[in-house]
Amino acid sequence: MAVNPDNYGLRLFVRYLVLCLIALIFIFPLVFMINSSFKPDSQLLADTSSLRAFLPVGDISLNNYFGAFRRAPVGLFVLNSVLVTGVTVLLSLLICSLAAFSFAFLRWKGRDVLLSIVIATLIIPFETIAIPLLLLVSKLPWIGLDGLHWGWLNSYRVQIIPWVADGLTIFLFVQYFKGLPGELIEASRVEGASWWQVYYRLVMPLSGPVLATAAILKFLVMYNQYLWPLIVVQQESYRPVMVGLGYFFQLNVAWGEVMAYLTLITVPVLVFYLLLQRAFIASIASTGVKG
Amino acid sequence: MASKLTLSNRAGWTFVLPGFALISAFIVLPFFFAIGLSSTNQRLLSPNPTQFVGLENYQQLLGLAVVTLEPERDDAGEMLRNEAGEIQYPRLREITRSEAYPQYRGMREWFRWQSGENVMIVIASDVVFMKALVNTFLFVLVVAPVQGSLALMLALLINHKVRGINLFRTIYFMPVVVSIVVVSLLWRFIYDGQNGLLNSILQALTFGLFQPVDWLGNPSTALPAVMAMSIWQAVGFHMVIWLAGLQTISPTLYEAAAIEGASRWQTFRYVTWPGLRNTAVLVLVVITMQGFALFAQIDVMTNGGPLDSTQTLVFQAVERGYGKQDISGGSTISVILFAIVLAISLIQRWLTRER
Amino acid sequence: MAEVSLKGVKKSFGRVEIIKGVDIHINDGEFVVFVGPSGCGKSTLLRMIAGLEDITEGTLEIGGRVVNQLQPKQRGVAMVFQSYAIFPHMTVRENIAFGLTIARASKQEKQQKVAEAARILQMEHLLDRRPSQLSGGQRQRVAIGRAITRKPAVFLFDEPLSNLDAALRMDMRMEIGRLRRQLGTTMIYVTHDQVEAMTLADRIVVLKDGQVMQIGAPMELYHEPANRFVAGFLGAPSMNFLNVDVLDLDGEAAMVGNQSLEPIRVATRGRPFRKGGKAILGVRPQYLRAVQSGKGLLHGIVAHAERLGSETVVDLSLRDNSELIAAFDEDKVFEPGDALELTFDTALAHLFPDEGELQTH
Repeated sequence: MAVNPDNYGLRLFVRYLVLCLIALIFIFPLVFMINSSFKPDSQLLADTSSLRAFLPVGDISLNNYFGAFRRAPVGLFVLNSVLVTGVTVLLSLLICSLAAFSFAFLRWKGRDVLLSIVIATLIIPFETIAIPLLLLVSKLPWIGLDGLHWGWLNSYRVQIIPWVADGLTIFLFVQYFKGLPGELIEASRVEGASWWQVYYRLVMPLSGPVLATAAILKFLVMYNQYLWPLIVVQQESYRPVMVGLGYFFQLNVAWGEVMAYLTLITVPVLVFYLLLQRAFIASIASTGVKG
Repeated sequence: MASKLTLSNRAGWTFVLPGFALISAFIVLPFFFAIGLSSTNQRLLSPNPTQFVGLENYQQLLGLAVVTLEPERDDAGEMLRNEAGEIQYPRLREITRSEAYPQYRGMREWFRWQSGENVMIVIASDVVFMKALVNTFLFVLVVAPVQGSLALMLALLINHKVRGINLFRTIYFMPVVVSIVVVSLLWRFIYDGQNGLLNSILQALTFGLFQPVDWLGNPSTALPAVMAMSIWQAVGFHMVIWLAGLQTISPTLYEAAAIEGASRWQTFRYVTWPGLRNTAVLVLVVITMQGFALFAQIDVMTNGGPLDSTQTLVFQAVERGYGKQDISGGSTISVILFAIVLAISLIQRWLTRER
Repeated sequence: MAEVSLKGVKKSFGRVEIIKGVDIHINDGEFVVFVGPSGCGKSTLLRMIAGLEDITEGTLEIGGRVVNQLQPKQRGVAMVFQSYAIFPHMTVRENIAFGLTIARASKQEKQQKVAEAARILQMEHLLDRRPSQLSGGQRQRVAIGRAITRKPAVFLFDEPLSNLDAALRMDMRMEIGRLRRQLGTTMIYVTHDQVEAMTLADRIVVLKDGQVMQIGAPMELYHEPANRFVAGFLGAPSMNFLNVDVLDLDGEAAMVGNQSLEPIRVATRGRPFRKGGKAILGVRPQYLRAVQSGKGLLHGIVAHAERLGSETVVDLSLRDNSELIAAFDEDKVFEPGDALELTFDTALAHLFPDEGELQTH
């Protein structure tokens, strides 16, 4: 094939064609999901043999959504996930940034040892500690409004507290803090600021980018949690969306209703992503810069 | 001389304490727990006291042996054959249940092959675990190079400043932000044997010549199907890491290469690739780590089946530790998994060491 | 206002001694400049006074109080940093008021003190800007403003002008001089720029390798350097050093010379020399005058000449192949290869012991 190397227009056209074809591969399941969520099963299954599968045509309605809500407490699942995700992200930002602040700016006995322990935890995949952690949380005490309990299973706290602090988040903060000009910190010390004041008056206001990165990474992990809530939450009232999805699917409901559920829990994240796509991609890239 | 002037022990510990305590309690402690529990018979809920069992759990999982079956012979020493003319062998059970071979007790056949007139059989104490181990390694060995190189190709394609390139980058990355559980369920539909989109597409492309396949219901296609979906889901993630690596290469190097008259391949070979060495190791390690943690896809799509063809280590750990409430068994698998992961990160250290 | 006193101050990182025993007494209201080549420990010393670095040994007193173990805020010092260190997320007003905010000063007090600082530094119109909207010189003014609002007992400046371009640096130098007269507070100023040192200081402390080489008023250091290092460090172009032989020695002077230098008599200023030994003769380039053939003390060949308009700097090669710089305060034309005879007032020359020579004793 003789493609004239000087034919810039043609080359550009080929480039866009390739880009678009690849884009189709990434986007078709999601398009199918959203369109199918509006179709009754008879049409949904019939459409799979034609391009109609990817088009909102035919018998379009919100019936699947109503059906999904009737079938299971979908709203409750979403609420549970939003609550667990939101609280964990906020606590994580606070606690990990505090620890990182101490590692990055303060000098104290034992700092280097503790920091190497934190860094070492980066190579422990959660999957390898899930089972012993299950045993641990099943025996932990908790003092609530109604007195002392044993065991954390079936609660919000079991979904939140173990996820608040992690090595990666602390590491990201430490890296960022070490890049801040040291003279700013010294200037505020000379001006009489306490360490706590340096933290919240100076370092936190300057940490927008790393806060966004840490929040996005934590958000993705928490909202998409599956294995952990699967093994520690049996009660429907504390169940998050992804585990709820598994149970929902096992009810042998119509495909359309499954698609409605999937769309319902995915589209908000996608919208969030599309609005903040630069920050999302930057946060993933920043995890790659480590090491 | 340590002075209280620049040493802030109290503030330092106060700030670090909440985070460090949580990490200790929920990461470090369970990690050591796993090692401890793997030498006990701990169950999630049990009326009996926990006992120390040493390495028994590991023997239970890792016990392997090869036995040779010789053909059965008649008194004259002739091999016995059945009506179809096939050589007759003693049954494996006669060995694994024999008093003469206590070391093979309870082991089951994993696979066998013919060697001359004998049959060699690999027997394992835990065949399902062995299958999970092999599947997990297979998954990593296929997914790591394929996903890594596809991601690099995407990154090179995207790393051109043409109008609208951000849109494509956004789309390629999109599956990453979608939960793997959602993706797995969607792909169950795509892989469906009857109404699946994949079969429809393949039939349309081959004008009806393609015979529909039940991708997840067939032991020979189930694991590859899971691999393909996993690659699709996370390739955008690694594309972004490659892109970050590409952007660390100074543009002046490309300008210098262009002035020296390097072809596109030469530019890639001598400028781009050397600049990506550490990124390459990182991408491979991250994919490997993610691969060894393979769980949600299996749980949602196949439950380890059909015929254990998609069993994985984490799936087995959860099935035992949670499903069967066998905490010690699950912990043992976790420890073995961690040993593998540790070995891989040591290899990474070695590969990226300063030279 | 306060005096600052360092007694036997040392600093080491592990086994490496950075500051090797420094004694300096700074009077109340005095402007003292620490000067020296990079790595001489001048910034470290300043940071030790500020309380940003530990003092390994010795005592530091500010206002008669030992402050070795006190936090920066308890020492009553304010500091201006090389990178300005103004907080990018705060307006100029918030930056200047930062120390007062930390000290929980009343709104009224803050307003009044910020206004006063702004007036002194002539930046009332900048108060509501963000640091990113300011030029380098304006940023430095904000940093100074932040330092003066708290009325500290001692001001510390860490190379405050080295990030500015040459023209702005001169303006700010004069500004700091003016500020100093206006406030009358004790100031300690670190720089590697001898012009800043000479123009600003009441007294200069010359440091090298963590040790004080000499303390004194600028002109005292210039005219009576205590050693070869100080002699060479201050003045531009640097002082010439010639290896000479000690031909004769009497009470307070020595007769010295070599193959390019006619024998001359130079005061020894109490330094030890040995008849027949070696010595180093220091002559500033500005003190050299070209004279007619036969009347010069030094004989050289022009290697290179730079005409700067107001002065001409000539690089000469002497008979013994040593190099000599001469600076003439007029515009003159020299061609490479020209023979030149030079003379100078021997009272303005300095004689230093030869270091290699000293070690043999």
